[in-house]
Amino acid sequence: MRGCRKMALKALDIYKLLPKKNCKECGDPTCLTFAMKLAGGKADVSLCPYLDDHAKAVLGASTRPPIRLVKIGVGERSFKIGEETVLYRHEKTFYHPPGIIFRIPDTLPEEEIAKITRRVRDETFTRVGSDLRFSGIAIENTSGSAKTFENAVAAVERQQCHLPPVLIAKDPAAFSGALVHCGSYRPLLHAATPGNYKEMCALAKQHGCPLVIRANSIDGLVQLVKDCTAEGVQDLLLDTAPTTLGDFVARSTDIRQLAITRAIPELGYPVYLDATATGSQDAALILGIVKYASVIVTDPLTPGPAKAALTLRQNIYTDPQKPIQMNPGLYRVGTPDKKAPVLMTVNFSLTFFTLQGYLESTRIPCFMLIVDTEGLSVLTAVAAGKLSEMLVRDSIKKFGVEDEVSHRKLIIPGYASPLSGRIEDATGWKVLVGPRDAAEIGDYLVEEWKKASGA
Amino acid sequence: MTLKATFDWTQEIETITLGATKANGGTRKVAYTIGGGTTLPFLEPAGAAKAPLVAFEICDNPVFWPQVIRDYCGDLTNNPADWAKVAEAQYGADLVRLYLTSTRLRDFSDIGSVKTTVETVLSATGLPLIIEGSNEPKIDSEVFLKCGEAGQGERMLLGTAEAGRYRSLAAAALAYNHSIIAQSPIDVNLAKQLNILLREIGVQRDHIVIDPYTGSLGYGFEYSYSAMERIRFSAMKGDTDLAMPMICSPADSLTVKEVREHEPGLGDEMAVSWEFYTGLAAAAAGAEIICVRHPKTIPLLKQAFANLLPAAGNAGVP
Ligand code: B12
Ligand code: SF4
Repeated sequence: MRGCRKMALKALDIYKLLPKKNCKECGDPTCLTFAMKLAGGKADVSLCPYLDDHAKAVLGASTRPPIRLVKIGVGERSFKIGEETVLYRHEKTFYHPPGIIFRIPDTLPEEEIAKITRRVRDETFTRVGSDLRFSGIAIENTSGSAKTFENAVAAVERQQCHLPPVLIAKDPAAFSGALVHCGSYRPLLHAATPGNYKEMCALAKQHGCPLVIRANSIDGLVQLVKDCTAEGVQDLLLDTAPTTLGDFVARSTDIRQLAITRAIPELGYPVYLDATATGSQDAALILGIVKYASVIVTDPLTPGPAKAALTLRQNIYTDPQKPIQMNPGLYRVGTPDKKAPVLMTVNFSLTFFTLQGYLESTRIPCFMLIVDTEGLSVLTAVAAGKLSEMLVRDSIKKFGVEDEVSHRKLIIPGYASPLSGRIEDATGWKVLVGPRDAAEIGDYLVEEWKKASGA
Repeated sequence: MTLKATFDWTQEIETITLGATKANGGTRKVAYTIGGGTTLPFLEPAGAAKAPLVAFEICDNPVFWPQVIRDYCGDLTNNPADWAKVAEAQYGADLVRLYLTSTRLRDFSDIGSVKTTVETVLSATGLPLIIEGSNEPKIDSEVFLKCGEAGQGERMLLGTAEAGRYRSLAAAALAYNHSIIAQSPIDVNLAKQLNILLREIGVQRDHIVIDPYTGSLGYGFEYSYSAMERIRFSAMKGDTDLAMPMICSPADSLTVKEVREHEPGLGDEMAVSWEFYTGLAAAAAGAEIICVRHPKTIPLLKQAFANLLPAAGNAGVP
């Protein structure tokens, strides 16, 4: 890393700068605990009213998150970006998934505009228990006419969807009309350049909007950040104006690395990517998701890329330390009766939804008994000792399984077979070891369960 | 002033040669050198940058192949030689990866057919081959030896070695100078351990490709993505036992719910999207051979790689 790398201050160094009054006004019991929070980036310096100017200056610069948090839009669909701290997700996690925004050229007929807007409002893709959605609408002034631009923005807003808007135009003069319709919804404005930044900053300030700045070199961006912050605009995004995917990956990585190491604080802003500009839109989306873009503008996607993009974004922005979990309990597939099979599994959502998917396609009604392995998969839970016969016994009791079925047979995952004897002893249930791969559950239920249950 | 990210990497990725042309004692029209990377993927300076390779996967018994591919490729799936020829001439693959799925049939014993299949595929295409041998420890040794022998001199890539099952594969590779795929279940330490085991029985570092295993998009891909990044990172930081190129096969992606239960008429689109999104993301994490099963995924990957490397890096040596 760079020689001049400035590290975040340690808790003790911060403590030395605090007033040491232990007055609790910051919300913390002592100055020391407040210092620890500051060091972890979990509190804001301004919470302490007694800091002197020197302390403010030092702490302000080094406890501020290395990448600024920026909010796009207002209300329920607004989203936050920035405040990322690592280059690799395994070092900690990526916090704020990029907004994927559908682009509408202002030349489209009104019905088309309305249709795309409603699609972004309504389309949800449910995966492992989360509802995945596209994030907003970008209206681009492709016509070059301010009036057409304004009409298109008005057409979007007439749908009353309150989706975070992005306004894209070359000429600053085109924005005023458009902002009449969405100026109070924190639209993202695109873009300030060396030639127009004063006007763009004035617009951003007037409406309190975040602003994209655009330059095709890192040095150019640094200069523009200086210029725009001097004009009083703080909520900035960086557009590296890539013409190839290679440009994007290189510049985006440069920005992320120089920002999180605080080598160049001016680069501490989220990155904006126009996926349509590189000639390979899907590829740009993929690379934008994995390589640090925070707002990605794309043409409306067909079903394949739409689902794949939302899924990739969900995968990459899952906390590697915190698996997505289900509530333990007894779940039904179809409408099972008292003779229906009971299948036991763990509360790692991925495991649950994989198994559930296969069970649904068998069309055999059944119960799924989900036990609490703290979100670990079957094999991981077995290896970590989180799946035990006591857990299974207690879960059967707790979730009232004995009242739901008249039989006493439990199908366990193939990978849990080492526990089969112990589960039988602890529960008094007969244990049937199912297949290892959930894909084979259909055949298994048809053949083995029928046999075992005497049906 | 030019502002650039700087990393203090100390170690290059090992280079591996796939395929042998006439000049090198084989019959391939093209041979590739992969590896040699000195920094993160797609950040190599112009000239040094190389596009990852795209391998098209075929098999000798389509019973084990995803329905969407059998529908798309039709009769070709019953004839690996023709399929390989089309993979080269029409689909535009860089490599052909042949799965000897026939060996997975219950009580398979026709070891002789393995050799014939590999030979016919070798004569049908001029591309370097990856051969996936048996899945059954009892016949591994014979199957791998036959594969190795059939491709003698061609510098094939043989798969797949795992921690409990690598000796017969390694023996065949050593005997006939092929390279091998070393697979571990999404874990940096296990990948390293396997490479050490292989080294101890004499497999050279420049004959190993790491397969950290690719979980499917939406079903664990994040773990694979991070495992790849960590392997690449450890390698650049100096761990020679991890400094080998990686291979990614998103084969599982074709069996996930989203692809299985696609809307009518969207089977190909879902399959291609799932392969493409997985494959390109894996390349960004460091994979240098991306394997696909849907022909339409190939041009998408190749176009993306070309766009990532404007300086037209190509590993091919005609
Ligand atoms: C991701 C991962 C982790 C993640 C945890 C993710 C999680 N939420 O569990 C992390 C990094 C935290 C982790 C940690 C550990 N892991 Co780990 N991990 C994995 C990995 C790569 C994937 C697991 C996964 O997500 N599988 C996907 C889910 C969907 O699979 P599943 O739950 O088994 O469900 C399938 C089947 O079981 C079946 N099924 C499920 N339920 C049911 C029910 C019925 C009735 C039926 C019939 C079928 C069925 O259907 C599903 C799909 O087919 C595996 C390797 C691998 N490729 O499997 C190792 C693995 C499971 N881990 C392993 C180990 C040892 C560990 C650790 C103990 C140490 C370590 N090496 O890291 C720790 C323990 C954690 C702890 N807290 O102490 C070992 C287990 C070895 C063994 N054979 O027992 C594995 C196999 C890797 C290896 N070393 O070979 N791990
Ligand atoms: S408000 Fe300031 S002085 Fe009071 S306890 Fe908090 S840090 Fe200390």
